[in-house]
Amino acid sequence: MLDWGTILHYFPFLLKGAVLTLEISVISLAVGLVFGLIAALGKLARNPLFRWPAAFYVWIVRSTPLLVQLFIIYFGLPQLGIRLSPFASGVLGLALNTGAYNAETIRGGIEAVSRGQIEAARSLGMSGALTMRRIILPQAMRLIIPPLGNNFIILIKDTSLVSTITLVELTLTAQRLIGSTYKPFEMYLMAAVLYAILTTASSVCLSLFERKALKGYGI
Amino acid sequence: MIRISDLHKNFGSLEVLRGIDLEVSRREVMAIIGPSGSGKSTLLRCINYLEIPTSGEIVVDGVRVNREDLSRKAFQKHLNEVRTRLGMVFQQFNLFPHKTALENVTEGPVQVLKLDKKDAEARGREILERVGLADKADTYPAHLSGGQQQRVAIARALAMEPAAILFDEATSALDPELVGEVLKVMEDLARGGMTMLVVTHEMGFAERVADQVVFMSEGRIVESAPPAELFSNPREERTRQFLADVLDRR
Ligand SMILES: Nc1ncnc2c1ncn2[C@@H]1O[C@H](COP(=O)(O)OP(=O)(O)O)[C@@H](O)[C@H]1O
Ligand SMILES: [Mg+2]
Repeated sequence: MLDWGTILHYFPFLLKGAVLTLEISVISLAVGLVFGLIAALGKLARNPLFRWPAAFYVWIVRSTPLLVQLFIIYFGLPQLGIRLSPFASGVLGLALNTGAYNAETIRGGIEAVSRGQIEAARSLGMSGALTMRRIILPQAMRLIIPPLGNNFIILIKDTSLVSTITLVELTLTAQRLIGSTYKPFEMYLMAAVLYAILTTASSVCLSLFERKALKGYGI
Repeated sequence: MIRISDLHKNFGSLEVLRGIDLEVSRREVMAIIGPSGSGKSTLLRCINYLEIPTSGEIVVDGVRVNREDLSRKAFQKHLNEVRTRLGMVFQQFNLFPHKTALENVTEGPVQVLKLDKKDAEARGREILERVGLADKADTYPAHLSGGQQQRVAIARALAMEPAAILFDEATSALDPELVGEVLKVMEDLARGGMTMLVVTHEMGFAERVADQVVFMSEGRIVESAPPAELFSNPREERTRQFLADVLDRR
């Protein structure tokens, strides 16, 4: 039923696509974490000058489809004279998107650290920034890391959408190979298997990291 | 050491402190007693500005705490300096759960006072020994009993070498059998000459250790006297009633 010859022959091409998918995922993850942290701190700020833009960013991203966001960046922005490569557009779109979800996750974790912790730190004469860095964030991490890991898994799967802006990652590689092989079942199945490997391997890495990060709480 | 004049604090329309005057001298221990909701915690928290007083004056170690004349930024800096001079021990301990006992104790000296880490650790160990926890230096709070956690919290305050320490019902969250070990540490501190302002329900401790006992009710100081006088011969009917209620419950 399955054409194993085709599978074996084209596997290296798909693997190359998967490598690009992984690259896009990891870079978007890193940038998305920075966006998320900035937006979370912005939303928690007292000053509306920080709070409103952060809230607007999170709202607009979470209330529109990622596909439309990617189209605006890749097809829309050139009209304003901003021309980004498919790779830059893809990473920017994905990072903005995952960043908004990360922001909510991080904000939730920070808010969950008890008032008493902040009071104890401030009573020692620690500044607000020092309290955030030394006391609140490390504790918030415990609560934040698992859902952030979840966001990352979603991000990996969402990268398939950048195939629509001509970025030849795993999904678009499969599509193009179908054009010449007429074997959609084999090609998409291989793509699916590679996505599953990527997400599962990431899950395993994340839970190892979690265990390491949470060590020391003595809990 | 701590001087408070005409301190008022409102939470919205609720008047919690209605004109408090008190003075704690150097090396003095003042106990504050009174029914729940009378404003004892609020008073303590106003002193190191965890609550913002509505009006009045607070002076710690010769320095005025509430300085309306400073810009926001300058005031924060001023406040952080004042707070390094004032220890605070909370009812719920509030130890940092992601740090060991020793790390809890050295956090302030290293991060705020900029002490060398090695020196801070050596001193931190000495202080832990003083509160009887030399062997728990590397233990996380989750693995300590309530009494041990509160003793670490006291050590954390001591490590800053404060001019005075504020205790807000330091033993109220403890199982009865653990109260003694914490009171013992507090008593040792008092004997050692530490200036202390202690909100407590432990009448025995107040009687034994305090130089002055203040009875608060409904946001006011009803009376203030040395313990021998206040406990055996209260001037005010309300104090008498409160003491009778407390003794009854035991
Ligand atoms: N943050 C707050 N907001 C509103 N009301 C408060 C707040 N903190 C304390 N109160 C009220 O102030 C009163 C005094 O509280 P508190 O100082 O905690 O009393 P005590 O420590 O003597 O039991 C209580 O009625 C309490 O409900
Ligand atoms: Mg109280």
